[in-house]
Amino acid sequence: MIYLQVLANGLVLGGLYAAIAVGFSLVWGVLNVINLLHGSFIVLGSYVAFFAYAYFGIHPFLSAGIAGAALFALGYVVQAGLVNRVIAAPVLITLILTFGLDLILNNAMLLAFSADYRKVNLAHPLGSLELGPIFLPGDRVAAMVLAFLLTALLYRVLRDSRIGRAIIAVRMDREAAALMGVDVKRINAITFGLGAFMAGAAGALLSIIYPISPLNSSLFLGKAFVVCVLGGLGSVPGAMVGGVALGLIESFGAYWLGPEHAITLSFSILLVLLFVRPSGILGKRGYE
Amino acid sequence: MDAPKLSVTQLQAGYGDVQVLWDVTLDVKPGEMVCIVGSNGAGKTTLMRAISALVPVSAGRIAVDGADLTGATPARMVAAGVAHVPEGRRLFGAMSVRDNLLMGAYLRPDKAGIAEDLEKVYALFPRLAERQKQDAGTLSGGEQQMCAVGRGLMARPSLLMIDELSLGLAPRMVDLLADGLRRVNAEGVAVLLVEQDVMNALELADRAFVLDRGRVTLSGPAAALADDPAIREAYMGGLAG
Repeated sequence: MIYLQVLANGLVLGGLYAAIAVGFSLVWGVLNVINLLHGSFIVLGSYVAFFAYAYFGIHPFLSAGIAGAALFALGYVVQAGLVNRVIAAPVLITLILTFGLDLILNNAMLLAFSADYRKVNLAHPLGSLELGPIFLPGDRVAAMVLAFLLTALLYRVLRDSRIGRAIIAVRMDREAAALMGVDVKRINAITFGLGAFMAGAAGALLSIIYPISPLNSSLFLGKAFVVCVLGGLGSVPGAMVGGVALGLIESFGAYWLGPEHAITLSFSILLVLLFVRPSGILGKRGYE
Repeated sequence: MDAPKLSVTQLQAGYGDVQVLWDVTLDVKPGEMVCIVGSNGAGKTTLMRAISALVPVSAGRIAVDGADLTGATPARMVAAGVAHVPEGRRLFGAMSVRDNLLMGAYLRPDKAGIAEDLEKVYALFPRLAERQKQDAGTLSGGEQQMCAVGRGLMARPSLLMIDELSLGLAPRMVDLLADGLRRVNAEGVAVLLVEQDVMNALELADRAFVLDRGRVTLSGPAAALADDPAIREAYMGGLAG
């Protein structure tokens, strides 16, 4: 019966991983920009939640919206002001740009918040759920449910809204989209903003689970990479599948091999998949 | 109503250091059907892309309804009533036919009008109505061209530019498309058509321009050009009777 517990842990973890990765996947798939800022965006979202809770008593489940909105604004400005200038350049150029920006943002956070690990200690934790033989921490489950809801919301926005259709059109054919009257640079900025929104909101949700420090950004970025490769780049369902797959791999890996090997295992699987099935579990299709 | 729908004056354009268009001057009157013929590499596609502001213009002037739109954005050209059906159709392949058509109406705020025009496009090309939920990438070549033309019409343009209507399509499909285009034109939409099938183009159009190595070498009523021995020699291989 321990397997049920390990499975449940993996699913909870997977929901959070999906939320971590979906914005990264969106930006990569639509803009062909590998956004190395993504990990720092997540950490910044965690800090927004931390300070909102410390100073104003706003629960991270609510400040996820605030963190998302703040990061959307930051992402929009970064794309409109900087990345758009080199968007047509080869992918290495935008990679170096976001690498440099990440160094600046990450060190600014180190300067402002120090490298000390902080944690949101909820005054009223939800306790744990008992489902037969399975124990689940209530706050984690709630964070996962919210993460899934946010990801599902992004999916609906992309599928059913006018802006969402424009984002998908730009992903498929930027020039044809321009001929429809789409302002491609504005859509780029909105897309980058949406990616940052998801990072910020995910960061806020993670703040009740993981310790917060700028040092964690590369960890989150690494997870986002693995999820994208597992699920296939460029779709919300892909990020969901990849996230859950990574959650399960880490959960079972930790159980069988010991928790210290969980990350080694996930990156080993990443390497194998890159050789065997580089398009991911779901393969590559339109972004929706 | 004297201002031409589209007037292009002494246009020069190209890619980087390679100049493609040299002093191209042409006009399309409201409601007129005009075709541009010429061999491969003559600059027909570049001309359309320059009008749509996809290619930068180095000199000359592009005006729509008398208003100077040289150096505008693609979106402004669409807003001014110029829709461009690009070469190779360029549909959004993994999007449904219906969503492709709706993309054509991207700049329009009038929901009721969009729904009305969607029905009009379906009436014009009933095949699209049958396949509206299907991904555009799964359509046959002719159906894709219908979808591309329909997508252009969804902008409710006063000038529809089509880069290659018939290329690579079965004769039956070409007839359906040409017929559709006539009906669109009869409703008052001006058409600027680039076509490799010179016979077909001259039959459809009121007026024609011949483009050769980036310059307009000949222009006039389509019927007159169709009888021009030089044209017959150069583009019809002397075969057409």
